[in-house]
Amino acid sequence: MKNIKTYHFLFIAVIISAMSCKKLTEKPISFVEPENFYTTPSQIEATFAGAMNRLWDYWGGYGYGMGNFVNDDQYDGGDLVIGNNHGSDLWSAHYAAILNLNSAIRAMNAGNLGASATPEELDVLMGQAKFIRAFNYFMLVRMFGDIPLITETTENPTTAEIVRSPIADVYALIVSDFTEAAAKLPRKWDAFPGRPTSGAAKGLLAKTYLTMATYPMNDPSNYAKAADYAGQVIQEGDYSLVHNIEDVFSVATKYGPEMMWSFNSNYADINTDPQIYRPGLLEGWGDSRVQIEWEQAIPETPRKNAYVLTELNGVKYPDWESDQTPFIKKFMYDSQDDYDNYSSIMSMPIIRFADVLLIYAEAANKANGAPTQDAVDAINLVIDRANGYAPIAEHPLLTTAMSVEDFDEAVIEERNQELCFEYDRWFDLIRKKDSNGESYLKLKTIPAFQPNYSDDDLLFPIPDADIELNDKMTQNPGYTN
Amino acid sequence: MTKFIRSVIMLAGMLIFINAVNAQDRKVTGTIVDDEDGQPLAGVSVLVKTTKIGTSTGADGQFTINVPQGKNQLEISYAGYATQTINVDRESTLTLRLAKDLSELGEVQVVAYGVQKKSDLTGSISTIKGAELKQIATQRVDQALQGRAAGVLVLNTDGQPGGNTTIRVRGMNSINGGNNALVVIDGLQGGNLNSLNPNDIESINILKDASATAPYGAQGANGVLEITTKLGRVGKPIIGYNYTFGLAQLRKKLDVMGAADYAKTINASVMTRNGSGQTPVPIFSDAEIANYEKNGGTDWQDVIYRSAPMHNHELSVSGGTENMRYLVSGGYLDQDGILVNSSYQRFSLRTNIRAEINNWASFGLNWAGSKETGNSPPYGSADISFLGNSVNVAPRWPATEPVYDEDGNYWVHRLGYGPSDTWNPLASAMEPKIDNNLVRNNLNAYLNFEILQGLTLKITGGANIDNTNNQIYHNQKTYEGKQNTGLGISTENTFRRYQNSNILTYDKEVNKHHFTIMGVAEQQYSKYKFSSIRASVFTVDATGASDLGGAAIRTLSSDENDRVLNSYLGRINYAYDEKYLLTASYRADGSSVFGANNKWGYFPSASVAWRASQEEFIASLGIFSELKVRASWGITGNQAIGPYQTLARISSGANYPYNGTEGTDLGFFVLNAANPDLKWESTAQTDIGIDVGLFNGRLNVTADYYRKKTTDLLMPRGLPGYTGFSSIIDNVGSIENKGFEFAISGDPMVGKVRWNSSFNISTNKNKVLDLGDLDRIGYRTTKGGYSVNTPFMYLVKGEPFGQIYGYKYLGVWGTDKTSEAAAFGQLPGDPRYQDTNGDGAINSQDLTVIGNSFPDFIFGWSNRFSYGDFDLTFLIQGSKGNDLFNMGRIRLENPGEGTSARLLDRWTPDNQDTDVPGFIEAKTREEAALESKVSISGDQRISRWVEDASYIRLKNIMLGYNLPVSLAKRFKINNLRVFVSATNLVTITDYTGYDPETSAYNVNDAQIGVDFSNYPQSKYYNVGLNLQF
Repeated sequence: MKNIKTYHFLFIAVIISAMSCKKLTEKPISFVEPENFYTTPSQIEATFAGAMNRLWDYWGGYGYGMGNFVNDDQYDGGDLVIGNNHGSDLWSAHYAAILNLNSAIRAMNAGNLGASATPEELDVLMGQAKFIRAFNYFMLVRMFGDIPLITETTENPTTAEIVRSPIADVYALIVSDFTEAAAKLPRKWDAFPGRPTSGAAKGLLAKTYLTMATYPMNDPSNYAKAADYAGQVIQEGDYSLVHNIEDVFSVATKYGPEMMWSFNSNYADINTDPQIYRPGLLEGWGDSRVQIEWEQAIPETPRKNAYVLTELNGVKYPDWESDQTPFIKKFMYDSQDDYDNYSSIMSMPIIRFADVLLIYAEAANKANGAPTQDAVDAINLVIDRANGYAPIAEHPLLTTAMSVEDFDEAVIEERNQELCFEYDRWFDLIRKKDSNGESYLKLKTIPAFQPNYSDDDLLFPIPDADIELNDKMTQNPGYTN
Repeated sequence: MTKFIRSVIMLAGMLIFINAVNAQDRKVTGTIVDDEDGQPLAGVSVLVKTTKIGTSTGADGQFTINVPQGKNQLEISYAGYATQTINVDRESTLTLRLAKDLSELGEVQVVAYGVQKKSDLTGSISTIKGAELKQIATQRVDQALQGRAAGVLVLNTDGQPGGNTTIRVRGMNSINGGNNALVVIDGLQGGNLNSLNPNDIESINILKDASATAPYGAQGANGVLEITTKLGRVGKPIIGYNYTFGLAQLRKKLDVMGAADYAKTINASVMTRNGSGQTPVPIFSDAEIANYEKNGGTDWQDVIYRSAPMHNHELSVSGGTENMRYLVSGGYLDQDGILVNSSYQRFSLRTNIRAEINNWASFGLNWAGSKETGNSPPYGSADISFLGNSVNVAPRWPATEPVYDEDGNYWVHRLGYGPSDTWNPLASAMEPKIDNNLVRNNLNAYLNFEILQGLTLKITGGANIDNTNNQIYHNQKTYEGKQNTGLGISTENTFRRYQNSNILTYDKEVNKHHFTIMGVAEQQYSKYKFSSIRASVFTVDATGASDLGGAAIRTLSSDENDRVLNSYLGRINYAYDEKYLLTASYRADGSSVFGANNKWGYFPSASVAWRASQEEFIASLGIFSELKVRASWGITGNQAIGPYQTLARISSGANYPYNGTEGTDLGFFVLNAANPDLKWESTAQTDIGIDVGLFNGRLNVTADYYRKKTTDLLMPRGLPGYTGFSSIIDNVGSIENKGFEFAISGDPMVGKVRWNSSFNISTNKNKVLDLGDLDRIGYRTTKGGYSVNTPFMYLVKGEPFGQIYGYKYLGVWGTDKTSEAAAFGQLPGDPRYQDTNGDGAINSQDLTVIGNSFPDFIFGWSNRFSYGDFDLTFLIQGSKGNDLFNMGRIRLENPGEGTSARLLDRWTPDNQDTDVPGFIEAKTREEAALESKVSISGDQRISRWVEDASYIRLKNIMLGYNLPVSLAKRFKINNLRVFVSATNLVTITDYTGYDPETSAYNVNDAQIGVDFSNYPQSKYYNVGLNLQF
C-alpha cells in the first residue's frame, strides 16, 4: 500500500503543476490592442488610410453618390425633406475616422514613436493627422451644427459624459488643425501624389474661413483671412487649372495639377460600381440623376457638355427610351472595361484649384467691399476655361465694374456650375443669404420644393442612437426626438 | 384497465405456450449468441422455469440442461440483455439470439465525468444505444438521432452528402452564442459527430436538465451529448465486416411547366402589355408552340439531379483477454450526391484499448482518425451569386431552353423572357471545382488508480486536431468565374484542442447510505489558425486554384487565436436505501475569453429524486417495477464569447489608396471598444420529471417538464456614433424556454414475435424576454433579387424565435368583390392583402406575423419486430406547426418569368377559385383608372410564400434476415445478416418545396425557416450485409 500512497501524492503533484501552466489573461495573436499600436511611422500612416476607408467606401460613406448625403438643387429629388436619422452613416464614418486620428495624435504627443521618426518626420505625420481630422470636423460641423468635440485629450468617450460643443469651438479646432497642417506638410509629395499638401491645407483653411464669414458664424473679419490663404495657394503656383475642360475629370489628371486632395480609387482599391452614374441606355442603373430644372437653367458652354450628359447619339434626354433626365458626365470617365467589371477608379475631389480661385474671388470681393482686379482675374480663369476660351454671351467674363452683391452672386453661380455634384453645392446654399436675409437654400431650390423650406432644413438631425443613448445630447430644431 | 391489459398479455403468453405437455426428463442443449454480432455469450444463466434447475453457458456459448417431466420453459437471462423465456416442448437442440436490453434499470449509465446506476439517476437523460443507431442505414450519427429522444430537435437543413444538421436540445438559449450541444466522446469534450462511424458507438446519452449538464459549467447550457464508443469483449477475436450499398434519389421534384405550357404562359403575360395604345407581339410563334407540344423540352431538374450510389464498408476486429480488451475498426464511405458533381467520402479508423495493469491500476487509449473529402456545387446561402446557383436556377430555367447549343457549348438563356440574367444550370452545377478536405485526429488516454477501496483517481489526457484544406475554383464557364475572370479560393485551417481532466472519486456504502463524492480539476487549451487566399482574374482558366500565382488579383487573410479554460468541479451523489436520491454539484470555470473583471464563472446544481417503487406500500401493489419522481435545478453557461472579444482591437483590412500610387495602402483601425466586464451567458433551468416502469419493466414511461431562463445574452449594445463605434458586445438579452417531454417504451409482444416500441413527443415554447435597448432585431435573410429588401425574420421582445413578419395574403379578388377591390384600387384577379389596421390602404403599417418557423411539437415512434431470424424496424417521426418561407416561389411564380405549374391555375374570370393572381391587361387597368391604395410596391414579404411545413415521415424502414446459427456454423462464421432498408420513403406534408426540413440561413437560430435554393433531401434505398467470424 505504501507505493500506492506514493503514486497518490505523485499524481496530485502532477495535477497541481499542470493546472498552473495556462494563464487566463489573454494575449491576442492576430492583432494588437490600441496601446501597442501607433509606434512607428508606417502604423501612423496605416491609420490615415484606415480613417479614409469608411468615408470613401464601396456602397458606403461618400462613395455611393448622394445617397448618404443630401440632394441639393442639382440632384433629382432634392425636396428639402430630411427625415430623422438621415446622415447617421456619415456621422458614424466621420467619428470613426476621428477616433482613429485622435489615437494617433495622442500617441505621437506621448512620444510613442520614439526613435522611429525624426522630429521632422514626426511633424509631417502630425500635419497629416491634423489635416484629416480638420477635414472630418469641417464636414460634420456644416452638416450637424453643434457637435461633440472629441479630441486626443478626451477621456474614453464610450464611458465619459459627452455634450455638444458650440460651433465656434469646433471651428476653432478646425482652424488650429488646418493651420498646423499648413505649416507642417510639404508643398509637394513626389512619390505620393494622393497625400495632403500644405497647399491643400491652405485651400481648405481658406474654405473654412470663408464658411466662418457666412452663416451661421457670420464673422466678416474672416473674409480677409480666407482671401489671404487662397491667395497664398495662387501665389505659390504649385497648382493650376487643367487647360481643357474635357480633361478636368480624367484618369490622367486625378492627382494634379488642379486636383489638390481627393477621395482616391484605383484598380487595387476600386470604388462603387460606375453603373450608379449611368442611365439605363448605357446599361447603368440610373441612381444619380440630375434635376431637369437645374440643367435647363445653366448656360450652354463646353463645360456643361463636359460635366452634364444631356444627349446620347444625337438624342436629347427627353426623348430617351428610359431615364428621361440628364446625368452626371463628370464621373463617367471609367473605361468600358472598368464598367463591365463593376470597378470604378474615379476620384472625388475634396479641394481643387478651381475651388480655390472661386474662394479667393468671393473672399477678396467681400473683404474689399468691391471686386478687386485679382478677384476678377481669379474667377475669369474659371469662366474662360468653361467657355472653351471663347466668349459666350450667356456666360460672360466678370469685371471690376460690378457691384459687390452682383459679383458675389456671380461667384456663387460659378461655383454652382464648376463644382457641381462635388458635395459642395449644399454647403453654399446653407451658408449664403441674400440681402434680405433669405437663405439661398430657399431661393435656389427649384420652385416645386420651395414651400417645403424651413430654417430647420439648414441642419441634419443628430442621429437617433446618439440621442437615445446619451441624455445630454440635444436634437436640432425641426426633428422629432 | 391495467388488469385488463395484464390479462390480455397473459392470455397471449398462454396461447403460445399451451401445447406443452411432455412426459419425461429430457436433455436440452443449445447455444446462446448475441443478437447483434452472433458472438457466443458466456455465463448466460439458463433456468428451467418454476424450478431451481439451472446452468450457465460456457465460453463457447453452449449449455446442456435436463428439463424434468412436465416442464417445457427455459428462462434465459444475462446482464445487459433482455430476459427471454423460450418454449422447449419439441426441440432438444436450439440456438437462441439474445437481444440487448434497451431499458435495463440495473445497468450503469454514463454521466458527466463518470457512471451511475440508472436507477440512481436524478437528472433528465435520454439514452440511445448503438444498436438503435444501426436500425437506420445512415452513416451519420447526427441524422440517426432524429426522432429517437424527447426534447431533441434534429433538422436536416440541407441534403448534401456530409451536409449539415442542426441539433437543438430543449430549444434555443442564445442569439449570437450558438446553440449547439456539447459533444463529449469517451470523456473528451468538443468532439464532432460527423467524423464518427455509427458502427463504433456503444451508446449516446443526451444530458438535458441542469443536474445532468451543470457539471460541464460554462459549456453545458445547450445540453450535452455523451458518446461512448465500443470495446471488445473478453474472448477470441471477432472480425466483423459490414457492407451497405445505397441509392439516393431526389425525394420530389418541383412542379414546373412543360415547354408548350410555358411558351403559352409567357405569351399570355406579354400580351397583357397593351397599355398606352401599344400592341404587344407574342414571343413564341404558333409553330414554335406546336413544336414544343410535339417534341417537349428540357426537364432541368432531370438534368442536374441523378440517382446516386453509395458504398459503405466497415471492418472491425475486437476481442480481449482478462487483462486487455481492444477494438480496431475502420470504415470507408463513398457517397455520390443527387446533384451532379457532388460527393462525399469518409475514411475512418478507430483503435480502443483498455488494459488492466494490476488489480488497482488500469489504462485506456482511444484513438480515432478520419478524413472527409467532399464537393458540391454551391447551393443555398453559399457565398456566390444565386444567378449561378444550380439548385436555384434549374427549376427556374424553362423547358424551352436546350442544354447545349449547336456547337456543344452551354446554352445561354434567350433574352426577352424567363430568367435570362441567370446562368445555365448544368454549367453552374458541373463547372465549379470544389475540393474540401478535413482530417481529424482524436486521441484520448487515461490512467485509472484505485488508491483505496472506493477511492479512485482517473487522469485523462486528450487532444482533438483538425486540419481543413479547401480549394474552390469557378472557371469562366460559371457565372462567378465570368464575373471575376476566374475565381479561386484556397483555405487552410487547423484547430487543436487539448484537455486534461483529473477525476478523484470516492464511493462508499454504509448501511443504507450510499455516497459518491467526486472532485475534478480540468484544463483545456485550444488554438485555431486560419489562412485564405481569394484570387481572381486568371490568365489560364485550366489551372485554376492550383496556380493562384497566375491570378492578377489576390486577397489574403489569416487569423489565429487561442483560449484557455481551467475548471474545478465537485459533485456528491447520495442515496438512502435506494429510495431517496440527492445529487449536488458545483463547478467553477475560469475562461480566458471572459472579461478581465469576470474571469471566473460559477455553476451550481442540485437535484432530488424519490423512488416510490422502493416503498413497501407501493411495491406491495405489484404494479410498478419503477416509480421515480425527480426534481432538479441548476445554472449552466455558454461561453459564447469568441477569444479576445473583451479587448479593444486594432484591425487590418481598411485599405485605402491614401498615397495615390498604383496599389492600395494598408489601413488599420480600431475595430471595437474594450469591455472588461463581459461574461458568459447563463441559463437557469428547473426540471421536474417522473419515471414509471410497469409489468416488470415491459412498459416504461418518462415525462419531464422544464423551464429555462437564459440571461446575460451576448448582444451588441448600441453606442452613440460619436464614440466612433456603433456598438459594443455586452451581456444584455434574455430568453425563456419551457417544454414538456413524454416518452413511452415497451415490449408489447415477447413471444415468438417480439415487438419493441417506443414513442416520444416533446414541445418547446420559447420567448424572447429582453433584447437590451432594442425591441426587435430583423434579419434580411436573402441574397437579393427576390424583392425582399427589408427584414422579415424577426426576434421581437415578448415573442418566440422564428417569427416571420409580412403582409397577410388573402388570395385573389374575385369578380363578386369588384367594388371592394376597387376601394383598394384593385381589379378582380389582383392579389388581395389584409388591411391589418383597417385604414383602407395597404402599407407598412399592415405588417403582421405571418408564420413561425419552429414546431409546436415533434415526435418519433420507433419499432422493432423480430420473428425467428427476421427482424423489421421502422421509425416514424414528424414535426407539427412549423412554417417555412418558401422564397424560391417568388421567382418561380413571377409572371413573365416563372416556370411554376401553379401559373396555369392563375385567376381568370372562369377560374376564380385560386390564389394565383391573374394576368391583367394593362389596357383594362388603364380603362379602370383606379388609384391603387396598395403601396407595398412589389414587396414580397407576403404570406403567400409562407407554408405549413408540418410533416410526418417514415424516416426509416429496414428488414433484416440473420442466417440461422446452425447454418452459419457450417460456413465457419458467427453471424451473417442481410438487410434491405429505405430512408425518407414516405413523407406526408403540405409543403410544396423540396423538403419541409430545409433551412438556408442558419447563421443564428433567428434566421432558421427560409427555403432558398438549398440542396434537396434524398430518398435512400439500401441493401447490405453484416458478417462476423
